[in-house]
Amino acid sequence: MSGKTSLLSLRLIMTGLFLLMILLFVADLLLGSTHLAAGDVIKSLFGHGTPHGEIIVMQFRLPKALTAIIAGAAMSISGLLMQTLFRNPLAGPDVLGVSSGAGLGVALTVLTITPLFSFTQGSPLQDWSLILAAWAGAGAVMMIIMAVSARMRDIMTVLIVGLLLASAISAVVSLLQYFSNEAMLKTYVIWTMGNLGNMSYTQIRTLTAATLTGMVLAFVMIKPLNAMLMGETFSRTVGVNMKMTRIILLASASILAGSVTAFCGPLAFIGVAVPHITRIIFGTTDHRTLMPGVALSGAVILLISDMLSTLPGGGQIIPVNTVTSLIGIPVVLWIIIGRTGLGRKF
Amino acid sequence: MRLFITLFSSVLFLCSCGHGNRQADGRLDRTAASVYTASRFRIDDFQRFKRLTVIDPWQNSSGNELVYYLVPHNVLLPDSISESQVVRVPVRRIVCMSTTHTAMLRALDAEGIIVGVSGTGLVYDSLILDAVASGRIPDVGYESNLDKELIVSLKPDLLMAYGVGASSAEYLRKLTEMGVKVMYNADYLEEHPLARCEWIKVFGLLTGMEGKADSLFREVTAAYFSLADEVRTGVKERPDVLLGAPWEDVWYISPANSYIGRLISDAGGRYLFDDLTEQNSVPYAVEAVFRRATEADLWLNPGTAESLNDIAIADHRMTKLPVFESGGIWNNRNRMTSSGGNDYWEGAVVHPDLLLRDIVSILHPELLPGYRQLYYRRLQ
Repeated sequence: MSGKTSLLSLRLIMTGLFLLMILLFVADLLLGSTHLAAGDVIKSLFGHGTPHGEIIVMQFRLPKALTAIIAGAAMSISGLLMQTLFRNPLAGPDVLGVSSGAGLGVALTVLTITPLFSFTQGSPLQDWSLILAAWAGAGAVMMIIMAVSARMRDIMTVLIVGLLLASAISAVVSLLQYFSNEAMLKTYVIWTMGNLGNMSYTQIRTLTAATLTGMVLAFVMIKPLNAMLMGETFSRTVGVNMKMTRIILLASASILAGSVTAFCGPLAFIGVAVPHITRIIFGTTDHRTLMPGVALSGAVILLISDMLSTLPGGGQIIPVNTVTSLIGIPVVLWIIIGRTGLGRKF
Repeated sequence: MRLFITLFSSVLFLCSCGHGNRQADGRLDRTAASVYTASRFRIDDFQRFKRLTVIDPWQNSSGNELVYYLVPHNVLLPDSISESQVVRVPVRRIVCMSTTHTAMLRALDAEGIIVGVSGTGLVYDSLILDAVASGRIPDVGYESNLDKELIVSLKPDLLMAYGVGASSAEYLRKLTEMGVKVMYNADYLEEHPLARCEWIKVFGLLTGMEGKADSLFREVTAAYFSLADEVRTGVKERPDVLLGAPWEDVWYISPANSYIGRLISDAGGRYLFDDLTEQNSVPYAVEAVFRRATEADLWLNPGTAESLNDIAIADHRMTKLPVFESGGIWNNRNRMTSSGGNDYWEGAVVHPDLLLRDIVSILHPELLPGYRQLYYRRLQ
């Protein structure tokens, strides 16, 4: 598909997407689950609102909108990296069990280690221990998938291995749950529900630092990623160090998916669906365009999902994971059945 | 597919129950209905035996009725009644799936017939815990992890179950096939605390202690209403009460007509979501609840929180609520075992009068000076 869209139109689309993200960000601040006049929201942002208005804008809406942008961008880039790395259109953090791996890391930390160090509760130390555990879990699954991909070319086989890994991990997590007490269990169950809202600014800073690290690694790898699309032999001939590239991509994708999963829980289908949506929007497979494009689209889609979650009105909500699944599943189905002809194999 | 199988099998299960009911209805004459407030069961007296109808025994069920005939051991079975619907009374060996069941047997001093309990870790009562410790009452597992072989080997006359959803019917059906008599108890779905307590009448019939169950229920009802009347006449201002706790982005809100909603209203409070009249809890955005919660004078049942700090850790924004600053937060975890057994979900079900007294003393301390709460504790 590359080459079909001119540079000018790519830039126009990118600018449009960026403006859309800003617009949705503002809309997300204005339209919460309760009614707050636009003037009050703006006053609150500058510290001149009513006391409760300020709490609602500064402690509820702003952190949530910021998290939606960071998490949407990070999960989508992670998905893009995985799809190119594994040469698999269905790769994505949640689909291949990488989120589950991160979840196992979190479960081990929450259900076994944290109770021993209860003084860390609510401190940045605890946040970082969660993040590191999630990275390790995500990285471990990613390495298994990589080993399998090297042997099995069939993307469905890799997908099945991912599903098996996810089930194996959930079995281990159930076992852990069996031996943990009520309060620890509750902490873990809440985490699995996925959320964007309950983040302190310290946590947002931590998440930003962690995901920025992953994103920098990803952006550095744009050229090798493009070479990889042409196949491994081609990559070697243009001087790409495949081993190094794989390690960095693996680290980057694990850091991105792991960090978001540690804080927001397993966000469903964003990672696998957004890269495809972005490829359609831009009509290219060039990572120079896709990388920023995927980040913007991911942010836009998660902001939309967040707003859709308040649709029932009157303060009632739909969990954000439900919304992202409703958006993501049709995309995945479309990939399986329609576009790539994978369906014909069966 | 699994959902379909589950639904299909429950429909089959229910059809078979309904069929027997119609058959019996045609030939027997109904003489008395003796249920006072409970909406999920009905008792019909046929002189030589009783018919118990359990109505909509799980959430979102409508139009489902399960019929059981409680027939004394020495009475011959009328031809019109199928053996599968008969429970011989008094029951001598029972397996209880919920602590509300054990609490009711305990209140009747009939805990001796309990031969198995689901989730012994959640039991509060010390007598039953002693029996568990001595090995007399084994843990039969829970939900899909039920130890069916153990249950069969216990040779219970009855297994008292509850259904969370229609899917519960699936594993209970398996037990029925293995020859275990299963009865659904819908006490947890009763909206009024007294209605929930009234299920003790079912246990009275099962154990042959009808009179004791009736008088216990009468006493509790009288005590409950006398206190509720006192509140109605003595209270001028109704404090606003917030309930529950946030689960990250979501706060599940109990409707006003729920168990605890009724208690707050009868205790002279105004529930912050008294306009919500759904059947089940409704997920709300924490932001929306926070907004209303700024009005709250008191906050009850904040999840598993044991201290103000627990709440601050779970959601730091809650520390900005006036009710947090004034310290008007009470949990229902005053009587707990270390493994998670909570008398609020056990003994209090048989004593809604005492529960009401607790809540009145929190909402209107002036009415009960010097009172020390039984189930509730103020968070520090």
